[in-house]
Amino acid sequence: MEKPIKVLLVEDSPVDSRLLQLLLGESKTMHFSWTCVGRLADALPKLRDEHFDVVLSDLTLPDSHGFETFKSLHAQAAGMPIIVLSGTDDENMAFKAVREGAQDYLVKGKVDTHVLVRSITYAIERHRAERALHESEHHYRHLLESITDYTYTVRLQNNLPTKTVHSPTCVSITGYTPEEYDKDPDLWLRMIDPADRAAVIEQAREVSHGKMPPPLEHRLLHKTGHVRWVRNAVVPCRDQNGKLICYDGLISDITERKLAEEKLVKSEAFYHSLVEHLPQYIFRKDLHERFTFANQRFCAMLGKPLDEIVGRTDFDFYPPELAAKYQRDDRYVIGKIFETIEENKSPLGERLYVNVIKTPIHDVAGTIIGIQCIFWDITERKQFEERLQKANEELARSEAALRKSHEELKSAQLQLIQAEKMESIGTLAAGVAHEVKNPLAIMMMGINYLNRKLTTPDENITTVLKEMRDAIERADSITRGLLNFSASRQLDIKPQDFNALVDETLRLVRHALSSNEVELIREFGEKLPKVGVDKTQIQQVFVNIFMNAIHAMPQGGKLRVRTYARQLTETTHFEGMRKMDRLSIGDTAVIADVEDTGTGIADEHLTKIFDPFFTTKPTGVGTGLGLPVSKKIIELHGGSLDVRNLKEGGVQVRMMLKAHRTLT
Amino acid sequence: MNTKKRILLVDDEKSFTNLLKLNLEDTGAYEVHVENWAEDAYPAAQSFKPDLILLDIIMPRMPGGNVAAQIKADPALKDTPIVFLTAAVRKHQVEENDGIICDHPCLAKPASADEVVQMIEKHIRK
Repeated sequence: MEKPIKVLLVEDSPVDSRLLQLLLGESKTMHFSWTCVGRLADALPKLRDEHFDVVLSDLTLPDSHGFETFKSLHAQAAGMPIIVLSGTDDENMAFKAVREGAQDYLVKGKVDTHVLVRSITYAIERHRAERALHESEHHYRHLLESITDYTYTVRLQNNLPTKTVHSPTCVSITGYTPEEYDKDPDLWLRMIDPADRAAVIEQAREVSHGKMPPPLEHRLLHKTGHVRWVRNAVVPCRDQNGKLICYDGLISDITERKLAEEKLVKSEAFYHSLVEHLPQYIFRKDLHERFTFANQRFCAMLGKPLDEIVGRTDFDFYPPELAAKYQRDDRYVIGKIFETIEENKSPLGERLYVNVIKTPIHDVAGTIIGIQCIFWDITERKQFEERLQKANEELARSEAALRKSHEELKSAQLQLIQAEKMESIGTLAAGVAHEVKNPLAIMMMGINYLNRKLTTPDENITTVLKEMRDAIERADSITRGLLNFSASRQLDIKPQDFNALVDETLRLVRHALSSNEVELIREFGEKLPKVGVDKTQIQQVFVNIFMNAIHAMPQGGKLRVRTYARQLTETTHFEGMRKMDRLSIGDTAVIADVEDTGTGIADEHLTKIFDPFFTTKPTGVGTGLGLPVSKKIIELHGGSLDVRNLKEGGVQVRMMLKAHRTLT
Repeated sequence: MNTKKRILLVDDEKSFTNLLKLNLEDTGAYEVHVENWAEDAYPAAQSFKPDLILLDIIMPRMPGGNVAAQIKADPALKDTPIVFLTAAVRKHQVEENDGIICDHPCLAKPASADEVVQMIEKHIRK
């Protein structure tokens, strides 16, 4: 059984509605499903929401009358056939509705089942056919509008045009209809861009003489004023006898292509300008290492025009080793980006640095088809970097030198402070020593008197007085030492034989040497230059040094005294040594090394041995003034006095004095 | 009848002059007149007429050198020997100058009584 036909019945009279349904129900060939409404306001939403195969409608409704009812329904039910139902009195109006799009009209009371079914069936079929036609028309119009070509035919007589016929699609390209071309014979020429007219005329002339000119691309002005690009191809036509009777032209709209081409050209010009004006050298190669492109800068570097570079390889331009290296780098690039800094030699032998970036080139499918290389000279930057690094190193060196001289200054400052300290101690000591002497004198007088008055010899009193007298003498010797230390001496400088001076002094301590079982070893240099010294002062220094050495060897030992002369090549400085450096490089120094085999000096004492009152000797043996006074005396002579521990044990005292200039 | 030698002792240290006077007079050979102020020394010399003057150098208000100059300027006293007895010089300095400092014999303090006596005997007018 076929699908029932869906009917919307718009009828306010229940009797008429029922009657129609009864009539159609009697049909043996068709089935109907009904939707019945009595008012236009109920019909419109139904039409909006559902699809009906046909609409049957009375035009006189409670909320709408006559032709307006049809118009409302037709507007809403655009895709559905409408059959108008009318009374005998308004047949004219129903007829008008049919003119405006209703499929049919039926007069109530004059229809039977047969008429009704036929009317409905035809209405549906007619409506379907109309729709199909409409769609087809729409389709072809659309097709026609999308055609960008048109043809024209120029009839010829004696090689001259007599009539031109344009195909209808000329409208879509030029905006003008064939009729317009017909009326205005010069229109076709006027619409061609003035710049292209000569070429078009020449093409027409050639084809008019039976030739086959190549297709011409030119501009024409659309009726709206827009410029359009067309391709104009012409073919001559001959009759059966070979006589030229006309030519056909095919005009194709190529505006889109032309615009794309222009864009491409612009883009190419843009990149070309970039590549040629960048300060970099740029080239491309294929997978066989053949150059496919090089910018002018690179061409200039090789000294060859581009066409002599393209197709060749590095081996045509570089020494084999270098070319092989370049190609190795190229192969390495396949699959990755490669950036490096190369060091090269210019033809003049200068070092050149080049920054190189190599990248693979891909085709549209992503396959590698070659490599691209961009490089540029960074020699200046490199040289600048090297200069910077050198400057930095020099800076570091001068900083180190500065630090060293700073340390030397600091050390000199410390020595100055020490010297100043010594001076003030000396000044103080001199004052104190003088003030102490008077009380000592008084005590001495007292002891003298008591001794004299001691009528009965009493051993104890005698001992007491002797001890007191010794104490006064000790105190006096300390004050003498202090005064020696503080006194700014007037030196009595005379040229002296150094060895004789040392020998004479050794005789002064001969007794101390033998009583302490110290063996004396003399190693005197021969033909020493004389020294300009205050003899008694230097002797005092030697006595101090010898006595210190003897005191350092209570169990006996060896005292080695060595004299020699030497030209100073460097300022002497030993580890753990105090030095007074007045001698300069180049001076001839006369030197005495006095070495003992004693106990040595404890490290913590080494820095204090030149301080006044510093002594490790028992009270009464040392005053702590021997070395400070000695040092002061040697300083006054412009010499140096150094004390150090020997590795093998014992102490070495080195006295250096300047050789006397014999001119005096 | 008085055979004792007359010694003028000038020193600002009272204790020192007391003790030296005791020591010298105890020998029985000397009569000692003490002055503790330098400016009193010359008047004392004029009246006491010493055979020898023991003179300190560093004294308040007037140095011993000035006192010596006053005495040497007086024709009556200019031949009176003067011995400096002072803490201002050290023994070795005196020795180095053969016992003469500023034209006068000199003895460095502290000196024993015996040394003072030896000095007096060496330089006193016989």
